[in-house]
Amino acid sequence: VARSDDPEPIRRQGDRFAVTLPDEAREALRRLAVQYRDLLREEDPSTDPGVARLFPPAHEDDLLANLEYERVAHDGLLAGRLRNIETLERTAGADSLSEDELLAWMAVANDLRLVLGTRLEVTEETTARDFAKDPEGRETFELYRFLSALVGVILEALPQP
Amino acid sequence: MSDQVRVVEGATRSMKVAPVEVGRPVDEEVHEPDFPWIVIVWNDPINLMVYVTWVLQKLFGYPREKAERLMWDVHTKGKAVVSSGPKEKAESDVARLHAYGLWATMQQDR
Repeated sequence: VARSDDPEPIRRQGDRFAVTLPDEAREALRRLAVQYRDLLREEDPSTDPGVARLFPPAHEDDLLANLEYERVAHDGLLAGRLRNIETLERTAGADSLSEDELLAWMAVANDLRLVLGTRLEVTEETTARDFAKDPEGRETFELYRFLSALVGVILEALPQP
Repeated sequence: MSDQVRVVEGATRSMKVAPVEVGRPVDEEVHEPDFPWIVIVWNDPINLMVYVTWVLQKLFGYPREKAERLMWDVHTKGKAVVSSGPKEKAESDVARLHAYGLWATMQQDR
């Protein structure tokens, strides 16, 4: 149980954000960032459902329009995701982040939630108990929950848009 | 013009401010060369409710109350119309929503 006087691990400090995450959490983020970049390099929406979730179709049932959207939008979306990964890797050990850097952290964390959540086929009711007989799934779900908590902490720290 | 009004009605139906148009010709859609497009966000079990609200505020500049209402529609009704306009704007909005990981599609508002 957390002590009530524990400061938030990410909190606003003037124009910037102070980060007091433990080293293990920073290391986990760095590792995840590397794995995420490898995934984006090695897979595409047709080969991995998690990657497909990151690049959804823009039209419900119009194949040609979706191909056109993919042609126009995919490279820009991919480049943005790679930039966010690079920012997270570069700043994972930092004690202070700019708002843009913190937004990159949140984007990577949420992207990873989409990939892991899709792999785990989570529903709104999924809990750790669902993985009682699946140690690997349980471990992935713990990462998913860590990333969910991180997104929540970042949203708390950010000013109202 | 009336189609734009209907889009606004669709996008703001939960706000109870939908304008009512009187005397719209019934065959108007036939002569309308370019229908406005609507952008729909679909429910998914992964994106956090607070995150969806934040993204709608951030991308569209909606006040928190409106963004929360749209998020709640997504959560409870399965989808919500979050923006509308010409095709190019809808395409750009969909791509921006995709960049934030929301599940969004666009369609002509017929």
